[in-house]
Amino acid sequence: MKAKLLSYTSLAPLKEATGVLDARSLLPHLGYTFAVERISRACSHQLVRHRVASFSQQSQRYIVMKRLNERVVTPPSVEKAGGDEFKELVKEAGEAYQRLVDRGVPKEDARFVLPNAAETSLLMTMDGRSLLHFFGLRLCNRAQWEIRALADEMLGEARKAEPELFNAAGPYCYQLGHCPEGRFTCGRMQEAVDRYKA
Amino acid sequence: MRIKLVAHTPDLEAMVAVSMLTTTSGAQPSTLHERLLANPERIREVVSRLEVQHGNVLEHNRLVWLVEATGDEVLDVMLGTRVLLFTRLEGGRWLMSGNLRALADYAKQKDTEFASRLVDSVKDAAPTIHASFRRRTG
Repeated sequence: MKAKLLSYTSLAPLKEATGVLDARSLLPHLGYTFAVERISRACSHQLVRHRVASFSQQSQRYIVMKRLNERVVTPPSVEKAGGDEFKELVKEAGEAYQRLVDRGVPKEDARFVLPNAAETSLLMTMDGRSLLHFFGLRLCNRAQWEIRALADEMLGEARKAEPELFNAAGPYCYQLGHCPEGRFTCGRMQEAVDRYKA
Repeated sequence: MRIKLVAHTPDLEAMVAVSMLTTTSGAQPSTLHERLLANPERIREVVSRLEVQHGNVLEHNRLVWLVEATGDEVLDVMLGTRVLLFTRLEGGRWLMSGNLRALADYAKQKDTEFASRLVDSVKDAAPTIHASFRRRTG
């Protein structure tokens, strides 16, 4: 997995043009575009739930999936459990896909046998306010491991680019000073705060 | 109403081209980005093939304008589009932002002086796309 901030609107010219001193009030007007690479389709399904973002994703209608067994994301829990059954199913799915394509089935139909573990890459653009919300939710200890790892990489990129805006970003417990998860709290807020302290 | 583009995503057309190629190319988006930045002619070639109905490729950018207008004039723009965002500043000034798709949709619907100025404001930042908008909107 890799996340790279490809492009963003800088805060500085906007502050200069408007005279606005509170940088955070300008967040909704700033845009951030990330290349998100080699995540699972399971993870991309979670990403697109962030409806105010824009996405351009590699299309399985146009891009043929070659060597599926080399292009899957394997969860650590599956690795830990041995992973043989997982590998076998991926191998079978990859072979079935190839047989269908070889028989003239369009890629858009053959892909129905591909697993959620299949890798995908995409461009994702969010405004600054939505990005802060994304970090708040997806860096939480309760978030699923893959999207949390992705959010972690994205936060590193955002902090490098605009520390004034994103040093305050992190899971909601870090941003707010309290955990908003109620009875679902992980109970490890201090650990999270220490981790994301800029 | 007066408008001035005060900030935008750098390399606007490169981002449009990366977005267009990402969906159909097996290469990674960051690799496409690097290759395209090194080849401006290729960017023009890809972007000139743009079909506006596939508008999501126009969404990977942000444009920010400073607008001088009355509240009624801004309300009129807001009622014509839901995807341009406004913040009220002091002294009849507003900050307005959106992406190229918002601009394209607005210009398609509205045959006004403001829409025309909006389109022309991206002439330097996105010359190929500006020419394409102009061909469609006259």
